[in-house]
Amino acid sequence: MSPAGSHRADVAFGQSHPVVAAVYFAAVIGIGTLVTQPVFVAISVAGALLFGTCLQGALSTARRLRWQLPMVALVCLANPLFSHSGATVVATLGPVTVRLEALAYGLCMGGSLVSMLQWVLDAACVLTEDRLLELSGSCLPVVSTMVSMAIQLVPQLRRRYGVVSSTRSACTCAQAPAVEGPAVAPGKGASRMGYVNASTVLMAWAMEDSVERADAMRARGWEVGGPRTRYRLQTLRARDVVLATAVGSLALACALLAWVAQSQWSFYPNMPALVPWWGYVPYMALSLGPAVVTAVRRIREGSLR
Amino acid sequence: MRVKTCGGEGPRQRAVARAEGQAAGPAAAQPALDHASQPALELEDASFSYAVPAGELAGPEVVSHASARVPAGAFALLVGGTGSGKTTLLKLFKPEIRPQGALSGAVRVLGRDAAAMSPRESAESVGYVFQSPDSQIVCDSVWHELAFGLENLGVPQDQMRRRVAETCYFFGMEPWFHRRCADLSGGQRQLLALASALAMRPSVLLLDEPTSMLDPVAEKSFLSLLRRVNRELGCTVVVATHAPRAMVDFASMAFCMEGGRPRQVPLDSLREEPALIAAGGPAGAASAAVPGPAPRAFAAVPSAPVVSARDAWVRYGRYGRDGAWVLRGADLQMSAGEVRAVVGGNGSGKSTLLMAVAGMLTPQRGRVANALSGSQALLPQQPKALLSRPSVEEELMEWAPTAGYDRGRMLAVATSFGLEGALARHPYDLSGGQQQLLALAKLLLTRPRLLLLDEPTKGLDHAARSLVAAHVRRAAAGGATVLLSTHDVAFARAVADSCSLLFDGQVALTQPAGQFFRESWVWRA
Repeated sequence: MSPAGSHRADVAFGQSHPVVAAVYFAAVIGIGTLVTQPVFVAISVAGALLFGTCLQGALSTARRLRWQLPMVALVCLANPLFSHSGATVVATLGPVTVRLEALAYGLCMGGSLVSMLQWVLDAACVLTEDRLLELSGSCLPVVSTMVSMAIQLVPQLRRRYGVVSSTRSACTCAQAPAVEGPAVAPGKGASRMGYVNASTVLMAWAMEDSVERADAMRARGWEVGGPRTRYRLQTLRARDVVLATAVGSLALACALLAWVAQSQWSFYPNMPALVPWWGYVPYMALSLGPAVVTAVRRIREGSLR
Repeated sequence: MRVKTCGGEGPRQRAVARAEGQAAGPAAAQPALDHASQPALELEDASFSYAVPAGELAGPEVVSHASARVPAGAFALLVGGTGSGKTTLLKLFKPEIRPQGALSGAVRVLGRDAAAMSPRESAESVGYVFQSPDSQIVCDSVWHELAFGLENLGVPQDQMRRRVAETCYFFGMEPWFHRRCADLSGGQRQLLALASALAMRPSVLLLDEPTSMLDPVAEKSFLSLLRRVNRELGCTVVVATHAPRAMVDFASMAFCMEGGRPRQVPLDSLREEPALIAAGGPAGAASAAVPGPAPRAFAAVPSAPVVSARDAWVRYGRYGRDGAWVLRGADLQMSAGEVRAVVGGNGSGKSTLLMAVAGMLTPQRGRVANALSGSQALLPQQPKALLSRPSVEEELMEWAPTAGYDRGRMLAVATSFGLEGALARHPYDLSGGQQQLLALAKLLLTRPRLLLLDEPTKGLDHAARSLVAAHVRRAAAGGATVLLSTHDVAFARAVADSCSLLFDGQVALTQPAGQFFRESWVWRA
């Protein structure tokens, strides 16, 4: 997701301890999954997409919308098929009665789904694996080492699968008796036998590697006994604690306001009218905060792209 | 903990003090150290044989009645062919990774019995760098890899930060401190492996073929850093290698493994290497079955090219910064029966060029034409990609039904590669060099008309390299066209008709092999 293991310092949370980002993303993802009130959903979608644009560029966020928008439409249109509550009939298509409330509910659910996916992607960009491991602390060295190795294993297996299958299909001399003159280029798809072969190779290869890696780990003192320590990439400063507390308090306030808004809102049978309310402002601050902070930082550094 | 850590640094500091007291230069280092109270490494009548299942006869001794001393502060080479027991000998000094087996005699590290050292003491005093950088890198990112050993030993935070910072600074690794290990180049990875062993500040550093994956320039810079580690940090260094030529200038002494015994040899005796293909016939008894004709004269104007690339542009990934161009308008023309060597630094796009010719990737711009694509064979950098059967014999027979060869021919080829004794073994039980030979044998059995070889001599000893050279020449004599990428100048000189230099994603020039190497600054044999 992120181009390199390093996190970028020019985005929000880039310069603070990962615990701030962890508190933040836990809050927005938590509130986002529980609240279906339309204004809260809209704010969450806007915040997630804007921060995504800051992190990965407008192009890739727009490209992702190509499948996210149809997904929202699908959820929105599918909901009336299952839900027959609601008072406002929009249309009757044979046996199916489409009601406005059911459509609105579907739209909110779809929006909520998109914002969640986008927040998770944003979190993955900000909390890269090494920063996540830093959060896990020194209490679980075996688990965190295992996680770190598993993280490497998946791309390595994918890379090797590419090498194995493309090499085998490139060896056209093995596929049929040699023919004279130009022939077709090696096919891209591997046969079923090819897959079996490739997985055998990958398995043996990985096992061989693991034997050597175990030696390499032992040679560098793995499991010598005694307490283990952890290299801290970033120190937890007072500023980080203050920031995390501030983000946490804001999130708490937002959660309370969201609970108030949610309890006054219902889709069925009738939706109450939405009115301007000061209670949306804190959630706007929470949700749009990272995008605004990133934009301000970039304008100041003169690198707004 | 802190007390223990400082204690671990004691011998190192003493060694530094000794190194500072001496005149510079390996020759001057020797006499001053000879009367030092204890050598860094010492073998006294040591023998080792691998464990065998109960009920079977004990295996042959891999190390046999070995006696040797490496003084503290030395830079020693341990030379010998594949299977001569170099790796086993090195591992004897590192009890936590010593293979299972029977050991007799004395093995001492810094005056102490190696077998009596705890894993912690061994990890603190002896660093070990393995041959393959891929499998010895444990962590996801560079900083974590550097800190891994220190974390295991429970080194306190401030001490750990100092060691990581200083190691990183010493090797100039700051620009890639936050990078992901998987994204590093081969040279960077090997350097990372060295640095993460050194971050633990060992007094003795053992390296097993550390430069076999590096191009000549990267190899030299790795060795100069190793020399600085030896000189400036007072670390005793032992490098096991079967290609000692490039290392002679950096070393202070050399041992040669003969009959399971390290024998001290003069450094100058390692400067010369016998030719891979002797003028009167192939060198070595192993390749006697395969006559090796000399390279042909290079045709200045190739007749009707069978393989050609015109203005080929290739990059991996379509978007973003990952998508830097690897090939930027590469041109290549090969005539039938030609043996072409492609040289260039690590990451210059040699493998990519081979893959483009093989049709494994399509250039985003320009075109690649390959008239022999119906009968081509590709030897990848990792020969394991071609090995999938439970025994060498089945491996060699895998393509017999489709490629149309019989068991008799398979046996003849296996014999010519020296694999006749290994037919029943699992390919993964062979050494890395033998796996490479097996993969090449498997390809040659199908009689390809276009042979694409990616670093065919990587990690091979002299005997195996001359075998590969002889086979490549024989395939060419049989009409095959060969395109190979290599760092191995002696090999390229022995087999290639012509040589292309890859630089900046382009084929910078193509010349007859002899002229190319004569005029080259970097690729000199």
